[in-house]
Amino acid sequence: MNEYIITNEQINQLASELLNKNWNVVAESSDGISFKSITQGEDIKLNPSSKPSNLSPKQFFFPKSETLFFYKKTQTDVEIIDTAGVGNKTIIFGVKPCDTALTGILSKVFNWDYKDEFFNKKVENTVLIGLKCGYNDDDCFCTSVGLSPESEKGSDIFLVPLEDGSFLAKAVTEKGSEFVKENSKFFAPATDAKSKPVEMKAAPQKKFDPARIKEWLDHNFENEYWKSLGDLCLGCAQCAYVCPTCHCFDIVDENFDYMSGRRVKNWDCCQYTMFTKHASGHNPRSHQSDRYRQRVFHKFKYYPDRFETILCTGCGRCIRGCGIGMNISEVLQQIDKF
Amino acid sequence: MQTIENIYKPILVEIIEVIQETADVKTFKLKFKDPEQQKSFSFKAGQFAEYSVFGVGECTFCIASSPTRMDVIECSFKVAGKVTSALDRLNVGDTMGLRGPYGNWFPIEEMKGKNVVFIAGGIGLAPVRCVIWNVLDLRKEFKDVTIIYGSRSVGDLVYKRELEEWAQMNDVKTVVTVDPGGETPDWKGEIGFVPTIVEKVAPSGVDTVAIICGPPIMIKYTFPVLEKLGFTEDNMITTLENRMKCGLGKCGRCNVGNVYVCKDGPVFTHKQIKALPDEY
Repeated sequence: MNEYIITNEQINQLASELLNKNWNVVAESSDGISFKSITQGEDIKLNPSSKPSNLSPKQFFFPKSETLFFYKKTQTDVEIIDTAGVGNKTIIFGVKPCDTALTGILSKVFNWDYKDEFFNKKVENTVLIGLKCGYNDDDCFCTSVGLSPESEKGSDIFLVPLEDGSFLAKAVTEKGSEFVKENSKFFAPATDAKSKPVEMKAAPQKKFDPARIKEWLDHNFENEYWKSLGDLCLGCAQCAYVCPTCHCFDIVDENFDYMSGRRVKNWDCCQYTMFTKHASGHNPRSHQSDRYRQRVFHKFKYYPDRFETILCTGCGRCIRGCGIGMNISEVLQQIDKF
Repeated sequence: MQTIENIYKPILVEIIEVIQETADVKTFKLKFKDPEQQKSFSFKAGQFAEYSVFGVGECTFCIASSPTRMDVIECSFKVAGKVTSALDRLNVGDTMGLRGPYGNWFPIEEMKGKNVVFIAGGIGLAPVRCVIWNVLDLRKEFKDVTIIYGSRSVGDLVYKRELEEWAQMNDVKTVVTVDPGGETPDWKGEIGFVPTIVEKVAPSGVDTVAIICGPPIMIKYTFPVLEKLGFTEDNMITTLENRMKCGLGKCGRCNVGNVYVCKDGPVFTHKQIKALPDEY
């Protein structure tokens, strides 16, 4: 039996105990902006109906800026100093299904040949506590990309809110089961007499069919539609930064002083002019429409072609955050009608 | 401290010789700082690497030396951006970084027993030169070898000493050309754009593989000439040179359609290139 009951109070106590054991305990911050490390157990207030935070928890697996190594130079020599690449044990509480799915999706690109252990070790080192979602607005479209408010994909333990205020906790992975075993005093076995799950807002309606979208994309790399979209998009990249699955990065050197520094992997974005620009000045994606098309193609054709997974979780963050109202869900709905 | 396996960590190499090819092109001869790493390093003609200047960053180009000559690794670069400018300032004895080899390679094994035509323009001779030496070092295993190389001007010809060496060889036909207006008064080679000279030299496409690298415009106009000479789409092989950062199929910028140049390339047949969207 992999189902347990945990109360809000027990979650707070569990978090306190993990903090005492030097775990990095993470939850959505109360300002709704991002997921942050907390300093006391009571800071965790799980709210299934809250709007997704502006930033996804992607940064805990693929940081905005990550040291690859340090270097120290002498006159003619260089010394490379390794980094640990992974910190304290981490637990993230209250992650909605459109965010828990990110680890499974991203592990494909980070492991398809060369293995990016910076990503892998963080996934291994993290316990993801998923939470059934009771939020639904016009921008949500998880059900159109194969997920749902109760999808357990990526969660180690999945919480379902019950009418009596407690949660049904399902251990989804082996790591989740181990975690429950190690912290068994906070988890009571679920009995048949358990309270009923809370009625929540209905899941978002299916808005488009990704199979049909891919079929259209297969034949419409050249299409006037892309030009009309490119004229609107500013290429500011906020959509990629808030996205749980966008993973393009840059590698740059940062000097501390003349003789030492670090090489870092930084978030980058395919919407930037410089992203593909050659040193010669030639740019294979010179117009914004080429770059917007790349974003849609990467998510709904290239990634599924190669990894059999859509590079999108339907969280809607890129739509809510766009300064000029670009709406990928509407773009896909339009394509579905072509 | 526990450390993790790091695919982004370069191997340290020392510059043992610098050759000024042209005003803005240099060749470095590189030796691994750790002899053990030198021994275990292997690559195939056409593969590329990420070269780094610590404190400035990384830059992508091919390994210009042949895998048949493993005592040193060579790279040639044209000063164009931030990292190549920093490379330009390095001297003999300096340490730089190298990650690789990455990507696919020219099908040397399948080329054996066939004629080979090398066609290169400008700095595009670097990846071709690697295959030329690979073929010449195994000369008996190939039929006729033709080298057609052109640059904008006499001053822009790279590997001049090797062009002369190839011209001296009895079993290699070497034709060097410069663009009209790029000749000097004592220039004895051809004058004309590469596609025109290919048409003039007219190598037979029968049982022949053509390896073509150079500016996109040169490649574009050379393909139709080769088609007329009877080359098949599978026997015209070139490379794509998109901007890269990781070289490992992760950073997401070198793709042309759903093809990753760093993983599925950089070597492609004309047939494969024709199937790609116009995004390179």
